[in-house]
Amino acid sequence: MSGASTAEAPDRGTLSAAAATTAATTAATTAATTPATTAATTPATTLVIGLGNPVLGDDGVGWLVVGEAEARWSGAPGVAFDRLAVGGLTLMERLVGARRAILVDAVVTGLDPAGTVRLLEPGTIPGRDATHLDSPHDVTLRTALALGRTLGADLPDEIAVLTIEAERVGEFSERLTPAVAAAVPDAVARVLALLGDR
Amino acid sequence: MTRLTIDPITRLEGHGKIEIFLDPAGEVERTAFQVPELRGFERLCVGRPVEEMAVLVNRICGVCPEAHHMAAAKAADAVYGVTPPRAAVLLRELLYSAFFVADHTTHFYALSGPDFVVGPDAPVAERNLLGVLQRVGSDAGGRVIEARRRCHRVVEIIGGRAVHPCTSIPGGLTKGITPDERDEIRATADRMVDFAGFSLDLFDTLILGNPGYVELITGDVYRHETYSMGLVDPDGLVTFYDGQVRVTAPDGTRHGEYPPADYAEWIAEHVEPWTYLKFPYLRKVGWKGFVDGPDSGVYSATPLARLNVADGMATPRAQAAYERFYATLAPSDGGRKRLVHGRLAMHWARLVELMYAAERMAELVADPEIVSDKVRTPATEVVGEGVGTVEAPRGTLTHHYRTDARGVVTWVNLIVGTTNNHAPITMSIDRAARALIHGGRADQGLLNRVEMAFRAYDPCFGCATHSLPGQMPLEVTIRDAAGGVVDVRRQHC
Repeated sequence: MSGASTAEAPDRGTLSAAAATTAATTAATTAATTPATTAATTPATTLVIGLGNPVLGDDGVGWLVVGEAEARWSGAPGVAFDRLAVGGLTLMERLVGARRAILVDAVVTGLDPAGTVRLLEPGTIPGRDATHLDSPHDVTLRTALALGRTLGADLPDEIAVLTIEAERVGEFSERLTPAVAAAVPDAVARVLALLGDR
Repeated sequence: MTRLTIDPITRLEGHGKIEIFLDPAGEVERTAFQVPELRGFERLCVGRPVEEMAVLVNRICGVCPEAHHMAAAKAADAVYGVTPPRAAVLLRELLYSAFFVADHTTHFYALSGPDFVVGPDAPVAERNLLGVLQRVGSDAGGRVIEARRRCHRVVEIIGGRAVHPCTSIPGGLTKGITPDERDEIRATADRMVDFAGFSLDLFDTLILGNPGYVELITGDVYRHETYSMGLVDPDGLVTFYDGQVRVTAPDGTRHGEYPPADYAEWIAEHVEPWTYLKFPYLRKVGWKGFVDGPDSGVYSATPLARLNVADGMATPRAQAAYERFYATLAPSDGGRKRLVHGRLAMHWARLVELMYAAERMAELVADPEIVSDKVRTPATEVVGEGVGTVEAPRGTLTHHYRTDARGVVTWVNLIVGTTNNHAPITMSIDRAARALIHGGRADQGLLNRVEMAFRAYDPCFGCATHSLPGQMPLEVTIRDAAGGVVDVRRQHC
């Protein structure tokens, strides 16, 4: 496993000149007794982010997919992996400095069977809909990106969104439902394909 | 009966809806606000060491994990019967103050700003943060982003992570801060005091300078005379991290003041058949329905409520803002404080608190003990039960745990900030609907105005990563008595 890795230890990003460096990564924090310290590494050109709540059943599938993708990643430089439970401005701030972003998120559209994996059209950012791209106490990611660009932030030119249709998201649990769990390998393969690392 | 449904077309946790029932004359008969409850959190907690709770509860809520972290840390202190050293308390409160600055900033500029700066009747497409910045200048946007970035950095320095802190443990913290980190935080605190002043000035110019907005804040549509709740320090001043719970009646008289651990003696929960939500009320007053007044046990716990219960603010510029707030909205009656009941005044109250949080950061970081390495008192026994209460941005937050003799969790009870406000939120929506729906027809401004009613509370229903969006996707369907659709309107969909 290589590439910059964080598990809920994100640098919240910055719109300053130091953005490209600080947005790259921070060191992992895995336990209450080992708080994170910021680690300076080569800035990532591609950022892969799993979104969701890891203890809310299928809502955490994005975290799992990105974790698996990171484990199978060949290690070519310029790719960073992250898992976040944020949206809106905070997510935008995290994207600063990356050239490209791949977001992996649970979705409940009710239109597809549970476990359906879809890649939204490149460059299209969903507005207020079924994903985690916005937050109840924040602006939409689309608005946040517009704000960031207005303020001169160095934001990705391309943002791809990979969604997995979820089934159970209303109950705290660290387990996925079978249909969603079965979709993880396909979603991981799609992430690696997007990275050009089949 | 005609049923009018406002149904958020939302996702994941937030499949809530508002139902407004009309009488045969087309006037509002009653309003029901329904959101689903996330289940199973207690089951997730039981069997875990209580010291894990401060990290686990970050996952309850993607909006205010710092608040849950602090309440859990304090409850775990109590479970182990251990008092953190002064330096640890200073650092926890410093982290918490920075969190408040970031949270209140985001709410004011991204959520309430569109209502007031852009205007409640502006086109939906303009009612967002970008619309705000078009009116106040992009410099404000840069300051908002800077405030968030700097405060997140403070949380990261003290809490170990920028979003979900992980350093609080029973008896204190896992680490202190260095003099260099102290200096960085001190610079941030000074900037945040300036920023809070800038925000209060902005409110003065754009909102208080507009008679229409002042009427909106002081008018009857968003007015409720309920009890107020909030933590106060030993001097009776607003505090976020620790204090006694004070409850004040609508006329300003004291209902009671109690240690947070006694909450069950003061608070009871009402259940309605049409929702999973529970409605906390004052046990000693009793549940009389969704009604205002001193005989109704309905209370609110919000930024406005905190100002209402307190005797003032503990820092100078916040105190000046507090005095201006009351002098403007509720001039004192013979020297006796009168409470403010206009719910949209919540946005101004939030800015008064923003100033307090920023000034409090500056005070705390200036304390010589802030760089002490004595940040933990070892825990040597297990009491087996503990309550931790803080003021979350959206209301009084209480965590209550019981454990076995090893400190393993056997039972949990949480009263989250928004839960306190379920009844007032329902009442505010009802009040807005009654003002805007007549003869079976909804006023064109219904969606915005109903949104404004509950957005003032900054509600967080899912207590999960995401719940009802701030700009709530709404679909209003008006049906005739036979169930036929006569009108449908949507926004944010």
